[in-house]
Amino acid sequence: MTQDPNARAEIEPTEVGANAAETGERQLRQPDADHDVTNDHELLPEDLDFATLVEHGHTASELDPDAPAVLTVDNLKMYFPVRSSGLVRRTIGHVQAVDGISFEVPKGGSLGLVGESGCGKSTTGRLITRLYKPTGGSMMFEGNDLAKLSNKEMKPLRRDVQMIFQDPYTSLNPRHTVGTIVGAPLEVHKIVPKDKVLPRVQELLEIVGLNPEHYNRYPNEFSGGQRQRIGIARALTLNPKVLVADEPVSALDVSIQAQVVNLLQDIQSEFDVAFLFIAHDLAIVRHFCPEIAVMYLGKIVEIGDRETIYGKPHHPYTQALLSAVPDVKQAAVGGRRERIRLEGDVPSPINPPSGCRFRTRCQFAQEICAKVEPPLLQIGKRHKVACHFAGELGAHPATPVTTQLLGVDDQGSPVPGATPTNTQLTIPGYEKTWYDLTTKQTTGA
Amino acid sequence: MSAETAGPETLGSLSSEPEQQDPNSQKAKEISGKSPLRIALGRLSRDKIAVVCAIVVLFFIICAVFAGTISKLFGVSLETGLASQYVDGLNNGLPKPTMGPPNGPFTWEHPMGVAPRTGEDNLAYWLHGCRISLMIATVATVVASIVGVIVGLLAGFLGGTVDKVLSFFIDMFLTIPFLLAALTLAPILNDRFALSDNYATIQKFSLICVLAMFGWMGTARLIRGEVLALREREFVQAARVMGMPTSRVLFKELLPNLAAPIIISVSLMLPSFVALEAGLAFLGIGVTDGVSWGQTILKAATPTYFREYPQYLWQPLLGIVALVLSLNLLGDAVRDALDPKTRR
Repeated sequence: MTQDPNARAEIEPTEVGANAAETGERQLRQPDADHDVTNDHELLPEDLDFATLVEHGHTASELDPDAPAVLTVDNLKMYFPVRSSGLVRRTIGHVQAVDGISFEVPKGGSLGLVGESGCGKSTTGRLITRLYKPTGGSMMFEGNDLAKLSNKEMKPLRRDVQMIFQDPYTSLNPRHTVGTIVGAPLEVHKIVPKDKVLPRVQELLEIVGLNPEHYNRYPNEFSGGQRQRIGIARALTLNPKVLVADEPVSALDVSIQAQVVNLLQDIQSEFDVAFLFIAHDLAIVRHFCPEIAVMYLGKIVEIGDRETIYGKPHHPYTQALLSAVPDVKQAAVGGRRERIRLEGDVPSPINPPSGCRFRTRCQFAQEICAKVEPPLLQIGKRHKVACHFAGELGAHPATPVTTQLLGVDDQGSPVPGATPTNTQLTIPGYEKTWYDLTTKQTTGA
Repeated sequence: MSAETAGPETLGSLSSEPEQQDPNSQKAKEISGKSPLRIALGRLSRDKIAVVCAIVVLFFIICAVFAGTISKLFGVSLETGLASQYVDGLNNGLPKPTMGPPNGPFTWEHPMGVAPRTGEDNLAYWLHGCRISLMIATVATVVASIVGVIVGLLAGFLGGTVDKVLSFFIDMFLTIPFLLAALTLAPILNDRFALSDNYATIQKFSLICVLAMFGWMGTARLIRGEVLALREREFVQAARVMGMPTSRVLFKELLPNLAAPIIISVSLMLPSFVALEAGLAFLGIGVTDGVSWGQTILKAATPTYFREYPQYLWQPLLGIVALVLSLNLLGDAVRDALDPKTRR
């Protein structure tokens, strides 16, 4: 394998960009124990080993629709109390950071969580790793409800739910060597005897692409990308089943982002780890996550597979979010795309708007949006949206699509005698049947 | 970084076969990193003032530790025979001319002269005073630092009610005037243990208690503030995600990061306790039954002696000033060395 990074750049068509959705069959084989990497290029294409595959670039992750859910989050809520100042600190309100979100993370798959700052993405990640105790809801993981466990009961499960942090400069203890940092989970959980910690640490450093001899260096001697690799190695130490990646690349240089995202993909396919990938970079989420949930002000407004969310988003917020992404192709042909500008700021999560939370900034908002909260309605095989006027960009319906389901008229007032026909329950996964927006009927596959 | 290390960093290659590496091999030692404390130590050794101060402090430490040996070397001891052999009772109790200054020439028998009236050897008393002074200051510093660090760690990390209660105690102890409390405590303790056999030991012990009791709050506040800032850093959250028990987070994750503030507070507490010990001895509420620089100063601070025999006062005074000054300057240098932002 060549050691010259410049020579490698030519043969590695790394595509982190949004357009890397082409499919590629990946065959993974464990390298033999006495495997000589320098002979890789003479092997037949069928016999691709991992290192060669890495050289051939990373394609976007594929969705496995039948994968069972490893983590099921149902109606998760996190309210932070707001206390009055003064001697008696009464609770005068709650920051509704996460307000009833439901999703599933498939086994070995990845769910992307996007949204603007302060919408509750990171809080969700911290709830799943139980850095906070949720106010309500459930998080089912292997038959255990993570939301209800005490810290003591949680400890054995922490081996399976790990986290990669955003800032590689603060997530590593500056006073510990890399070996201590990566080996700490082994010591805490007493998995391997003390003399076996070092080989395991070196193995992990090798996996994340660091020199295993660097175990006795301090974090300040590494670059940002290398530090993030150390953080990934630490998260991998316990062989977790779920990894919460809280903006793992947003603090990194763009060229390093590609490396780290590729590394995460390698890890995912190698160890079958499920990812909850929190990010605000839509291109990286598109590359990494076959399934994406869009959050706004503590709620999921749209969730679906990659093609639906990026191809035909139905929620005005998703459309606005996507239109804000600069497009290189547009710049090349000189055309200018219509940008949807969102007016104003995100409303305060202490006192969110009534009805639909996005209505204060939504160009389609009508009276019904203030009166009735739109349910997260499944409108496609793998597509849910929470909007009264759900529709593709430029084709939003003039009348609310949810009136029949909710038993209200177009202004959102309850119709006397009408019974809500909504049979959909808000479940974390997808149902076999869905509500078709054009026919306004429940249809199936 | 060499070309060798550039490979894995840019490649992100995966392999389940790690290279076995002996941690004690020459190669491993070569690439082993420097801890922040070692970097600070290297900087400290290049600081001339720090080196001079360290030598002075080392001199006092050697004097204190080997006080008995050095006294023997000079052939002096704390024991005094008949005072009239040494001092001239008719001349205000000043030493006889054969005993060296102020009335006679320098003599090796008593290199620093003898005390007026009692005829005690000044060198032996100076050395043993140094020992008492440093011992009390060191023990009090250690006790106060441990209490301060633990209180600060708990208050900062646990927060909430624990923080409120502990902070209340910190504030409460800060409001108590130190001298008043010491002056009140001394007669109580004297009264209680006056007839005890080991009165001198108890006196030192109670002095350490008084010093430590009123010295831990500064450290506690400093540490609490530092912990409040560190607590929100992501490595603490990472430790909690991996299920690390709180005690391990406190002592293995946070404490190493608090080395700098702890060293600084110790290096500033030590000289202040040396000065306080002497001050209390001078006021007659410190070590009264024994040897102390403060006691010597108390005896020497009379107009007659200062006029006729100023060396008697200067000797302990110089000891205190030199020790406190060099400890303070050393503490300053340590703080500069530990702070990565200072460049000199």
